[in-house]
Amino acid sequence: MIATPDQRLDALRGPAPRMHHNARTLAALENNPRCMLRAVLDASGSDKAAIAAHTGYQAPFGQSSFALARGNVFETMVKANGCAELLRVLRETLQLTLPEVGYQDLNDVGGDGRAESRHARTTHLLTAAARGHGSDTLYDHPMLRLVVGGHPVFLEPDLVAFRVDDRFHVVEIKSFPIVDDQAAPAQVRAATTHACAYIIALRAMLAASGIGPESVSDTIVLIAPKDFTNRPTGAFVDARKQVATLTRQLERIQRIGDLVELLPEGLTFDLAADDTGRPQRPAQELAEALDQVPATYYPECLNHCEMAFYCRSRARADGSLDVLGSAVREQLGGVDTVTMALGLARGTLTPNDDQVEMAVALRHAARLRVELHNSPGAAGAAS
Amino acid sequence: MSDPLDALEENIATLRRAIRDAATAGDSIRLDELRARLRRAERAWSALVDTDDPSTAPATAERMDPPSSAPVSRGAMLPAREHAHRALMLLQTPAAPKLIVNVHEAFFPGELSASKMSSLRRDEERSYRAAPGARPYYLCPALTYDLLSPARALVTISTWRLEQRIIGPLSPRVDFLTGAIRIAEAIRGSIDSPDTEASPTAWRLLWRFAVNIPGATSTKPAADVGTTDPNQVIDAARAELDVHADTDHATRAESARRARKQLSDVQQLFGASLRDVRHRQAEA
Ligand code: SF4
Repeated sequence: MIATPDQRLDALRGPAPRMHHNARTLAALENNPRCMLRAVLDASGSDKAAIAAHTGYQAPFGQSSFALARGNVFETMVKANGCAELLRVLRETLQLTLPEVGYQDLNDVGGDGRAESRHARTTHLLTAAARGHGSDTLYDHPMLRLVVGGHPVFLEPDLVAFRVDDRFHVVEIKSFPIVDDQAAPAQVRAATTHACAYIIALRAMLAASGIGPESVSDTIVLIAPKDFTNRPTGAFVDARKQVATLTRQLERIQRIGDLVELLPEGLTFDLAADDTGRPQRPAQELAEALDQVPATYYPECLNHCEMAFYCRSRARADGSLDVLGSAVREQLGGVDTVTMALGLARGTLTPNDDQVEMAVALRHAARLRVELHNSPGAAGAAS
Repeated sequence: MSDPLDALEENIATLRRAIRDAATAGDSIRLDELRARLRRAERAWSALVDTDDPSTAPATAERMDPPSSAPVSRGAMLPAREHAHRALMLLQTPAAPKLIVNVHEAFFPGELSASKMSSLRRDEERSYRAAPGARPYYLCPALTYDLLSPARALVTISTWRLEQRIIGPLSPRVDFLTGAIRIAEAIRGSIDSPDTEASPTAWRLLWRFAVNIPGATSTKPAADVGTTDPNQVIDAARAELDVHADTDHATRAESARRARKQLSDVQQLFGASLRDVRHRQAEA
């Protein structure tokens, strides 16, 4: 009997409970859609963090309780006293009018904090608002739901603001500073990637009631500390492109069956945990299983994917140029590995037709470097 | 970024490593010393991260000063629930524990911490159920306007009218503006009276409210804590209050009517549980 894709995915995960998609896995999907290893691990619901840890490459994030606490303290401060600071910023950035202060707390429903109950109430309130019933503006921690690869994912934005031009705006509250109207691009990107998933989920929810996607803005409102103070300020982030990418990837996720068919029979990422949850599978064996699936590592993985340290070491071992980032990679088009680049530069490797021009450039660069090294004035630079 | 928090976090991480090493080495004297240092560092970290003063410099130094300027009156010895009661009576609105602590620090002597506040809230309902009405007042949660369930983290006083204890969608803003007016009035009162003086903490609290009310602060660039004018805050807050007050009051009054009809005495004070809500919905 031939196993169905779902059965094969279950076999890849092993008996451990399925991990569901979340804002982070969706962000990884949007940032590295072509990575097959990530696709297979996520689709099978494997615990990437546990797998990475067992191979000796603990995930690069999710460990700092400090960062988490700082984020929470800032969010609490922004929302304190009837969202006083938040309203000031939204009045400045979104031109909210004075009457637009209505607040709905969706952190729980009468003390019931379950995702399903909160989602039901969120749907009820936001759909009514989109239809023009209700006059509220601030929806605190709404619970959204998105079906990814046949499985529901619950997503929880910091805040959704409504009625700015009669559209919903996703608001992300982050504790990294905006200095002179600029924030660190990597952090902004990480924040907006999460927000893209919220936008898509919000649209899906409204679509179920026949409300069009234009009711949700593609522009994210980022609230963060201004300069190095504790006072929040706001900025718009245009997320159109990211939303489009993620939407497209989500539509494709259904084709995971095609990918799974390419995997060797009997492959599994099962950690073989004992009763106490401790993995018993030899780490070496697990690494061998992972190595059977191609991964496309690049440095941005460090911001999004739990496997990043593992994949980086693998890419380094393979001499892949990807570890140097996309700028280097693009400049060395047609050259795949560090070894190859060095070989071409030293002239120990004969370039093929595509590589001729690049080989000339590399040899030129190598010559310059040697000259610099040998020139007497460059003693300091050469060290 | 090299802000003091980062430095502290690094320090804490180093201390934790040192503690682990000392534990492995079985050096108990060093272990005790390191633990004490870790506790201090962690306290400093929380104090720093918790300061919700929006100005650049964290006001830790000032906070650590004993409240020596205020005469240690009988008030300083009151139990925590009376402190909270006094702060709430000044505000006249449902308030989060943090705001209650802030108001207390700004206007009254004695110590009231956020952690005390949360244990207090648990005690009140128990005490009411054991002997209803034995105390002149109880600290109880605000109620949500639709489900009439306890609102998250908002404290009120049992002697207030239900309308005052219910939270509708506009109420958080209305209560914020009302609170601003009450704080400004308290400061104005102490300016007018010859033998009291508003504390710097009180002025800073007023300023923090004022900066989030349109027209409540001077537009001059040098405007800061010291230049906040209580009268201007009151006028500005009233102006915005006028926009929301009628709608808000209508929502609260309607819910209060429903609460009186549907809820028992205990529920009117401490809120309906979700089971009660479901039950009511099934009956309706
Ligand atoms: S870290 Fe590895 S598994 Fe994750 S997306 Fe990057 S290459 Fe793929």
